Amino acid sequence: MSAIIRAKGLSKKYGAFQALNSVDFTVERGKIVGLVGPNGAGKTTVLKAILGLTSFDGELEVLGLDPSKQRDQLMKRVCFIADVAVLPKWLKVKDAVEFVTEVHPHFNLERAQHFLGKTNINPNSKIKELSKGMVVQLHLALVMSIEAELLVLDEPTLGLDILYRKEFYNQLLAEFFDEGRSILVTTHQIEEVENLLTDLIFIREGEIVLDASMDEVSDKYVEVMVARENTEKALALNPVMERDVFGRKVYLFENVSREELQAIGETHSPSIADLFVAKMKEAK
Amino acid sequence: MRTFKALIKREYWENRGSMFLTPAIMTIFFAGLALIGLISANSITVNGDDFSILNKMPQLVEQIEHHSEEERERAVQIALYVPIAIFGFVMFLVSVFYSVGSLYDERKDRSILFWKSLPISDTSTVLSKFAAVTLMIPVFYFAALFAFQIYSLIFGTVLLWFGGDSGLVVWASSNLFVVAFNSLVGLVMSSLWLAPIWGWLMFASVCAKRVAILWGTLPIALVAIAEGTVFNSAEFISMVGKHIAKGAMVATASINNLEREGGALGMDLQHPLEAFSVADFWIGLVVAAGFLAGAIYIRRFRDES
Repeated sequence: MSAIIRAKGLSKKYGAFQALNSVDFTVERGKIVGLVGPNGAGKTTVLKAILGLTSFDGELEVLGLDPSKQRDQLMKRVCFIADVAVLPKWLKVKDAVEFVTEVHPHFNLERAQHFLGKTNINPNSKIKELSKGMVVQLHLALVMSIEAELLVLDEPTLGLDILYRKEFYNQLLAEFFDEGRSILVTTHQIEEVENLLTDLIFIREGEIVLDASMDEVSDKYVEVMVARENTEKALALNPVMERDVFGRKVYLFENVSREELQAIGETHSPSIADLFVAKMKEAK
Repeated sequence: MRTFKALIKREYWENRGSMFLTPAIMTIFFAGLALIGLISANSITVNGDDFSILNKMPQLVEQIEHHSEEERERAVQIALYVPIAIFGFVMFLVSVFYSVGSLYDERKDRSILFWKSLPISDTSTVLSKFAAVTLMIPVFYFAALFAFQIYSLIFGTVLLWFGGDSGLVVWASSNLFVVAFNSLVGLVMSSLWLAPIWGWLMFASVCAKRVAILWGTLPIALVAIAEGTVFNSAEFISMVGKHIAKGAMVATASINNLEREGGALGMDLQHPLEAFSVADFWIGLVVAAGFLAGAIYIRRFRDES
């Protein structure tokens, strides 16, 4: 397995504030990794370090390159979408396409034209004349036409309505993602990415609190809807979280065998959002 | 090279208004003004005296014939060069605002994150902006100036027709291509002369947190005030002022050559290219290089939040 990103002891301080505290993780080729955490947890700092947009301490290797020193080479193989607002408003659509064609050695113009042909975007429009959804379609068309090995997405669907949000990820999966590439995505809308992630990293106050594949997550974490008479038994197994659903108790267990849990109620895999809440509360 | 060309084009797309439309509109405006001036002057009579230019043309044609060829050439060429002053002045203002916004606007609208998502070095980006101000803007202002110079010749020719002359004398005296070349070189050289100003403003632009023009101008004012308070002198501000004034002298060196008025501020240029032999020109380029290196460094390592 080849690692696309390898971080060891990655740290970052803003003055006295420790944004990242000696974080270790790897992202393998062919994975879609969700980096999830509350505001100020250090998600964006991780992304900025990976993209060479900020200085850091510790070791970090992206595609075998050091982002703090070899940024220009790195950006030939890495794409990112920061959020929807960053395409310059004065730029015309056709000029944006021309510009990327000229400066990017791995940009495929036919592909971009194919993607744009499927939209209602007028090539002569300026970006400020496009709707928010169209700007995202344009940005995505540009990015998906770059033969990149790593795509970094930072809250890519922020401020989009639900129709575009769904389409955004569907298109990425269908047209861009393959086993040679990796995607690293941060988002607040966990539920909209949970079905496409292969790996999950939770980050809280500059530290990683969970780093696992989705398969490991569903093996390790089980939610049980417990009948009233079994609540005592459930509590004895040390659930990491409890909540009420329609008057019944739902408990989340970590590393408890499924057989044991099936005895006390109806088991299922927790949603990532519930797991996230549990993990964020746990350490406090 | 391909990237650099694309970056230069990018600057044009973003600044089409100040780089292309402004000088084009100036040419059209002054061309219109000359025409209106002629037409309205033609209908003025004061106390029965005819002030009409067109009716005076035959006298003028007669006078022209009394002048030597050299004198005619001087008159025509000075007339062609004079608009450099106004085109150069507007170009200066446009260049100030261009430089001061060049590395600030992209952060203000966050589009820097898009530019930085592409494999373009900060060095190429900053140098493309410097090339835009020292070469591209002067070329556009020259093109507009050249259009106006040709218009002036046509205008002069038509005037002479009213005096019964063929008007060929204007073209023969104009030495048009030399004048055009000197005008272009004048604008480019004067922008290069002002390179330390553009370098400083681009450096201020990359540092600016808000109103970039204040970041570009306030430090200069503060240094001047500090110097005045501490040393009771005004060396710094007079150095800046003189350097800008000499930039105007570089642009208009060809006029100086024809008018033979001699130098000012200890500098006497007969041709814009003579700026190459002035130490201040080279010192200015070194200072500009320092500011640009600073701008590149900050753009590369600033934490874009």
